[in-house]
Amino acid sequence: MTTQHHCGRFQPLAQSRREMLAKSFSGMGMLALGAMSGRSAAASDLSRPIRLDGPHGIHFPPKCKSVIFLYMDGGPSQVDTFDPKPALDKYNGQDPSQFFEVAPTQFNNIGKVLASPWKFDRHGESGLPISSLLPHLATCADELCFVRSMTSEFSEHTFANYFLHTGSGLQGRPSMGAWINYGLGSECDNLPGFVAINGGLIPPGGLDCFGNGFLPASFQGSVFKPKGTAVANITPTEAIENQQRKMKLTGALDQLLLDRIGPSDAIESAIANYELAAQMQVAVPELMRLEDEPEYIRRLYGMDSEYEPTRIYAAECLTARRLVERGVRFVEITCPSVGADRWDQHGNLKEGHENNSRAVDQPVAALLKDLRQRGMLDETLVVWAGEFGRTPFAQGANGRDHNPFGFTIWMAGGGVKKGIAYGETDEWGYKAIENRTEIHDLHATMLHLLGVDHTQSTYRFGGRDMRLTDVKGHVMHDIIA
Amino acid sequence: MTPYQNRVVCLILLTALWPAVVRNEALANETESFDADDLVFFETKIRPVLAEHCYQCHSATSKSVKAGLRVDSRKSLLDGGDSGPAIVPGDPDDSMLLAAIRYEEYEMPPKGKLPDSVIADFARWLDRSAAWPAEDEPTANEDPVKAFDLEQRKASHWAWQPLSASEPPTVENQDSSLSDIDRYIFAELNSAGLPPAPPVGRSSLARRLSFDLVGLPPSPQDVAEFVNDASEDATERYVDRLLQSPQFGERWGRHWLDLVRYAESRGHEFDPDTPHAFQYRDYVIRALNADVPYDQFVKEHIAGDLLPDPRLNTDAGFNESVLGTGFWFLGEWVHSPVDIRKDEADRFDNMIDCMSKTFLGLTVSCARCHDHKFDAISTEDYYSLTGFLQSSHYCEVPFESLERNRQVAKSLESIDLEYQAALDAELRRLIELDSTTGSLPWQSDLARIPELPEGQNARVVFDYTASDDASVSPFYSDGFAYGTRVTRPGQWVINSNEGRTSAEIAWFGSARNDPFWNAIETVEDRSVNGRRTSIPPGAGRGMRTPTFELQDRFVSLQIRGQGHVFACVDSHRLVVGPLHGETQKKVPEKTDDSIHWVHLNLGRYLGHRVHFELAPADKSCLELLRVVQSSEPLLARDAKVAKDFQAAERWLAELLERVGEDARPLKELQLEWIERRQSLVEQIQVRSRLAMAMMDGVGEEGRVFIRGNASAPGQVVPKHFLTAIDPTPVASAATSGRLELANQITDPSNPLYARVIVNRVWHHLLGRGIVPTVDDFGVLGQRPSHPALLDHLAIWFLGDGQSIKRLIRRVVLSRTYQMSSETSPLARELDPSNVLHHHREPKRLEGEIVRDALLSVSGELNSTMYGESVPVFLTNFMDGRGRPGASGPPDGDRRRSIYIEVRRNFVSPFMLAFDTPVPFSTMGRRTVSNVPAQALILMNDPFVIERAKAWAEHLIQASPNDMNDRIERLYQTAYSRSPTVNEANVITEYAQSNGLHSVQAWGDITHSIINSKEFIYIP
Repeated sequence: MTTQHHCGRFQPLAQSRREMLAKSFSGMGMLALGAMSGRSAAASDLSRPIRLDGPHGIHFPPKCKSVIFLYMDGGPSQVDTFDPKPALDKYNGQDPSQFFEVAPTQFNNIGKVLASPWKFDRHGESGLPISSLLPHLATCADELCFVRSMTSEFSEHTFANYFLHTGSGLQGRPSMGAWINYGLGSECDNLPGFVAINGGLIPPGGLDCFGNGFLPASFQGSVFKPKGTAVANITPTEAIENQQRKMKLTGALDQLLLDRIGPSDAIESAIANYELAAQMQVAVPELMRLEDEPEYIRRLYGMDSEYEPTRIYAAECLTARRLVERGVRFVEITCPSVGADRWDQHGNLKEGHENNSRAVDQPVAALLKDLRQRGMLDETLVVWAGEFGRTPFAQGANGRDHNPFGFTIWMAGGGVKKGIAYGETDEWGYKAIENRTEIHDLHATMLHLLGVDHTQSTYRFGGRDMRLTDVKGHVMHDIIA
Repeated sequence: MTPYQNRVVCLILLTALWPAVVRNEALANETESFDADDLVFFETKIRPVLAEHCYQCHSATSKSVKAGLRVDSRKSLLDGGDSGPAIVPGDPDDSMLLAAIRYEEYEMPPKGKLPDSVIADFARWLDRSAAWPAEDEPTANEDPVKAFDLEQRKASHWAWQPLSASEPPTVENQDSSLSDIDRYIFAELNSAGLPPAPPVGRSSLARRLSFDLVGLPPSPQDVAEFVNDASEDATERYVDRLLQSPQFGERWGRHWLDLVRYAESRGHEFDPDTPHAFQYRDYVIRALNADVPYDQFVKEHIAGDLLPDPRLNTDAGFNESVLGTGFWFLGEWVHSPVDIRKDEADRFDNMIDCMSKTFLGLTVSCARCHDHKFDAISTEDYYSLTGFLQSSHYCEVPFESLERNRQVAKSLESIDLEYQAALDAELRRLIELDSTTGSLPWQSDLARIPELPEGQNARVVFDYTASDDASVSPFYSDGFAYGTRVTRPGQWVINSNEGRTSAEIAWFGSARNDPFWNAIETVEDRSVNGRRTSIPPGAGRGMRTPTFELQDRFVSLQIRGQGHVFACVDSHRLVVGPLHGETQKKVPEKTDDSIHWVHLNLGRYLGHRVHFELAPADKSCLELLRVVQSSEPLLARDAKVAKDFQAAERWLAELLERVGEDARPLKELQLEWIERRQSLVEQIQVRSRLAMAMMDGVGEEGRVFIRGNASAPGQVVPKHFLTAIDPTPVASAATSGRLELANQITDPSNPLYARVIVNRVWHHLLGRGIVPTVDDFGVLGQRPSHPALLDHLAIWFLGDGQSIKRLIRRVVLSRTYQMSSETSPLARELDPSNVLHHHREPKRLEGEIVRDALLSVSGELNSTMYGESVPVFLTNFMDGRGRPGASGPPDGDRRRSIYIEVRRNFVSPFMLAFDTPVPFSTMGRRTVSNVPAQALILMNDPFVIERAKAWAEHLIQASPNDMNDRIERLYQTAYSRSPTVNEANVITEYAQSNGLHSVQAWGDITHSIINSKEFIYIP
């Protein structure tokens, strides 16, 4: 039994016996939960010297509380989804270099100008163009805010992924979810503040896309699986009563230790940490009980789809909503495997993009509608983005190569304008020419919407006050509602 | 044109324009002469656009001026920015400003191209005279950015000042047991009015020392022995035993590996192997156990390949020093970068970052894009360090055979010189005897090598055929096979053909591998992801050319033999597609020994730095004659010239026939030479394992990259160490200069060198460094809490043979180290962060040590040292590209954690939860966080539960019936102490209600103990 508070935080109404036992099983219930790690960076005294005091936390009135980041692995093609270019139809099959200078690409196998195989129509009152690849999403056109002038600095998946996730092309920097939790703390006592749901495809660059980098491990993304055991080590390998008995013993020993040595921040925090872990053991299985959702909601997301990748993605989107409902700050969901390849169609554009679209289209549209009907969309920023776009000319005969020079991402909810397209690419959809936007700008804007000044949220490492946006980033004020 | 070509052209243009710029500066003063209409045009059409679209980033009022360019005055435009002058009045097409707004060279303004009509206005304005009314230079409202003043910064920051000796302060009521260290610490405590905590009890001290020094809990016997040892030097002897234990190197080795971003895979997309990385890890453990003096250890890292007297392994005799250089190459590597120049710049940046933080506690990499914002480190300093790396080279060294075979090579060389001279003399004697006339074959057409095709615009880059010293190109040998010099035409050489060895005359000059070394084998390590980084194969038997800047698209190598040819561009060598495949070629099998051309199309790399590497096929020869570059493909076919040499052979055969019996001494010499060499072959150490190492390449100087942009090279900077420490440039420009650098870094007068290492040791022992930011002694780092103590320790360390072990010994024998964890309310109030060290802060064990302790208490620890790593256990949550095909065992073969493989993209979640750093840069101080994943692991991870069970079985076995004895054992193993009465009661109660002697109940108890805080927080 659950209910929603206005802020979307999850509160159990009545505790089951199991929950009650779990809450008190260490016997240390008198310890305040305020010291819990997810709540603040300086949970234990041992981590305090690392963290330097400085301007921190919320700097402006926030427009939103949480982010759901729909990572489109491999780089969807902008000219086949959200950025129609008639010039491609007109000059289909011609040598692109007679029209513009073609920059070096990842595969260096430059083909001809390639028209989109899909038809574009205008949708909703806003009339935003969306191709026939995404019919469900098209029904949400009036919720969407396209940024059609996004650019990246990298043509390679891994660089571009680290860049998209951490603001740096190199490995080992904190992910945006870690930064956001560092800046704001968690709103949730029994779940991690940064969750990455692995639908099957981990971004090239690996789990470090969700890492805490030089920030304390408290800000690590926790990887959830949409099926089976959701979180590593969350399921006790023994009867819960047995575990509770043991933990009670541990609690007694810990208390004797404290009696002996006197107060210790480090040890008290570690004890409190067990409380959190115990609560997670209960909260996570409850979270994952998607069967508790009404049938019409499950159908809306596509949990009953014939296509397995759609079912997986539906479960991810639904779980994302449930996480945000419970106060989790940042949820990223990764794509399911559709057999051949991620959105990375170096060949077989038609089949590959159709499969990837089919996997995500209905669940994403359902997520937007569901958040809207629950009144949650305005405080949840949904971001849909790949690490780069694709070339308007072919790779070989029927593929498209990586294109970091101009591509479309979109946002919805969370305080951004509805039904608009910001920025433009050139007539080919190749390079951004109007309101050119960088990944740093996306990060700056996300933080801004959450109430954080990206220039103020810093962490000192390696002789510098590090930021998610490095020394760059401009908030896209024009898209903020 | 590629962007690079563009830039090259552009730079040439700029250089050519220099005089014009000077003239224009003169013009700048003649503002009165501008036409009034032009000024109106400027005010209506140009200035408003500049103000609206450019001033935000390019004016005196900009928060930070981008690219060093301001566009708010005519003078600023003429002076230009990082990339040179922005305008050339009268010449719009040469004005970078116009190129930028046309989106040609740059794309300005970045938010979108200006309308064509506005661009046309700018063209007109520039074409006319770039009119600008006379006015004062704009100034910023705020203070102008302070100019970078290196000397001033050096003078004003503590860390650059020389070490300063001091007398340890006198402490009131001082007793004789206070060491120098204690006098510094206690004096501060006294003046703060804080009493030090009392000394910790013996058993707790035993446990603390054991974890700090060897990273394992002490055995109950060791603790008992120590506790019962009444002699005065009991602690000294206990400490010495720990320091001598081989586990010492495993514990402190792991600390060191944090500094050098140790990993065994490259990360990036497919996480390819970092070959032989574990050899470096073993080297570190051995070196720490052997207590190699720290300066030696550091020199081995920087230039272990260049030390005149390398340190030899005391057991096996192999070269240890060279292994240290492997640290340079432990970083992340990228495959198929589109911008290969930037890839090199990033790799170098990581190497400099890691080197400077590790050995100097400085963040030199902050000076990559601009002079350091806070420290006395200039951009020139940064790029001068890249020169050392550009001049160096990656190799995989057969370290086990290196020294032995070096001796063999020396003997071989002296034998060869002896016989070559004798054979030369003998041949000359025969020629005289025969009254042979005419020129010798190698000086005539008889043995002519095919020349470059005529009429083609080809340029020779390297020539190994020349007969005179002056024209022959240098090369670098990887191992000994290619010897130390080029084979000259007419030189006696040994040839080996299908098992037949003969002494012959080389009819042409070449860089040639001696078949003497054909037996060499390399031992392959286990490979996880087959994408090897060693290209070409055949480590230790190859050669490389110097580096040059590629000017033509096509390169052809004239060669003979079989093997691999690799064009190494910008030192990138992780060539696994889709790009850069054109840099490598397998030289096709040839049944005859013809000379032919190998063609490479390197058009993608015009203007890049390239060198060639050759590796002969197994048991084969591969000779390099020439390298040429050409703008069109070289037309030369694989001309076979064997018949030409037949004529030369005939000349020799006929000569010998004519002189008859007189040829006997020559033939005897030939046989003797072959035999002498044959006897030496047996001394070759054939098999050797490999390790990553650095070797010297061509002496080069770094270039400043403007704003850190690898595509915008600026001035050349001679190689030198940091100006603030020792600005003397490297004397020998022909080498990498790393040996000089190593000497400068380790020079006792370098104020950072000893301070940084003694501070690291203090940090690991006391929990917080005297300088808490152990990797950053710069302005943004924290100040030392006890500066006089820091210098005292540094000076003592330098004077005591730079022994890490003795330094540790000195610190742990202090009263300061041996304080208990008890705190007083007063101390907690006055100094809550314990900066003054009034008590011992309980220390949480690192992930590795938690795991090691679990294996140790359960009696299961496999103490095997060294060798290939145990593959990492892959949980269901460890997913992604490059995932190893097979998981390692869940219990890691019960080896210590330092022997578990570190794969960059698949770091153990157990370790990550306990703050093991992702290996991307130096991490001298780990974060200590407190996350639920830690509790979940200790509660539910099957690895932990199994250890608990094994521990319980052990306990029951050891005391099957005696509960009290069992509890005593439990406590001694877990916490090195006896239980209190209360504790014993709690445990007894649990056993009584859940199974007095059952493994189940005792498994619960041990599991509860593992989850107790005292298990991982060491007081």
